[in-house]
Amino acid sequence: MTSKKTIKSALESMLFVWGDPLEAKVVADLFNISGKEAYDYFKELQTEYDEQDRGIMIREIDKAFQFCSRPENSEYIQRLCTPVKEKRLTQSAMEVLAIIAYKQPVTKGEIESIRGIKCDRVLEGLAKKELIQETGRGTGIGRPILYGTTNAFLKLFGFVNLGDLPDIEDIGKVVREDDDEAEGISRFQQISIDFRNA
Amino acid sequence: MAYKVKLDIFEGPFDLLVYLIEHAEMSIYDIKISEITNQYLQYVEHLTRRDTILAGEFMVLAASLIEIKSKMLLPRTVMDGSGDLLEDPRSELVQRLLEYKKYKMAAEALTEQEELASRIFTKPKEDISIYTENPEISLNIDLSQFVKSFETFLYKKKKIEEVQREYTKVERQRMSIEARIEQMKNLFRGKKKLRFHDLLEGETGRYHIVLTFLSVLELIRLKSVKARQAVNFGEIVLTMGDKDMPQDKGESDDDK
Repeated sequence: MTSKKTIKSALESMLFVWGDPLEAKVVADLFNISGKEAYDYFKELQTEYDEQDRGIMIREIDKAFQFCSRPENSEYIQRLCTPVKEKRLTQSAMEVLAIIAYKQPVTKGEIESIRGIKCDRVLEGLAKKELIQETGRGTGIGRPILYGTTNAFLKLFGFVNLGDLPDIEDIGKVVREDDDEAEGISRFQQISIDFRNA
Repeated sequence: MAYKVKLDIFEGPFDLLVYLIEHAEMSIYDIKISEITNQYLQYVEHLTRRDTILAGEFMVLAASLIEIKSKMLLPRTVMDGSGDLLEDPRSELVQRLLEYKKYKMAAEALTEQEELASRIFTKPKEDISIYTENPEISLNIDLSQFVKSFETFLYKKKKIEEVQREYTKVERQRMSIEARIEQMKNLFRGKKKLRFHDLLEGETGRYHIVLTFLSVLELIRLKSVKARQAVNFGEIVLTMGDKDMPQDKGESDDDK
């Protein structure tokens, strides 16, 4: 059995050589350890990088790990090579993506009923960017295509997994709480107006 | 009260409606349907003039708004006198607006997250082919090695050219009929009779055989030898002819 220290050191080297997110279960086979162990080693390594405030961090994307630069250093990297900013997603694309991310698997019909507008072209664009994918077929009439997000989506937003999405019920609550006070009073007023009208 | 707004601001009918409600500082739970419907329709009308297809997308909600507006005019007390209220005609709209607003906010949160994530840089998948592929294929050498390779190439090229030059020389040095006759004279010396085969002295090269044959023909023409062939394709037997062998005309033939 290879020692823990050796494995962690080897994992670090592998991350360096590989570049792309490296799946824990892939490396587990190389050391004859379980996927869980490999995952834990990666996590330990990640913590070590964090604790030392290194310019390089290890980020996780759905149980795969990758070296990346520390966000605080972005300005310096831009000074070094001024990377071209990727074209940002439009508001409509972002809305569709948000609906898919939170409600997946979701059909086009559901997305359209929430937004009240067709979204064929937006879906096409998102699929082309590989942020969403077809995940199967629904059971409804016409067996509609179900959409879900991809790992590219997690990567773009820096999420470890879908559990990392901002809590949407919290957002909803904010709306409700804001409106709660006004509700009681004004509904009463509205009703009295109705009576007069009737 | 016309709303002159840029079309592309609104991502759909709900987006427009949310904007109108917020702009009028209404509670989403208490939409003044009449006012909002008017504003909404004004916008749609404005839109129809510019983009009919897009305006069509806004029509369904416009119809819903008008329906709600008309229902609002009706009394909502249950007729049995219990004082219970019928469901607010706006409640379904409110639910849908809330649902939309929830995702609109989620979209905003995602946009923020995207901004944060864009500050993290990663490398694309490393090209590890230099480790995995046959190293002979990749030109992974420095300049001096490259120069050396090129010199080797030039040297080889020169060698080949030299060999080729030698090869053409050999071609030119091929024996002439005269020289061959001179050689054959020695074989005939002291002999009355010779088979054509004997002249070849075991050599089987096509050029040598043809050359020997042509030399024999030449000697026959000069009447230095006589030839007999008993049967077709049989052995040719040569005997000394009436005349002597031709005299050697010099060594120059060899250099031709």
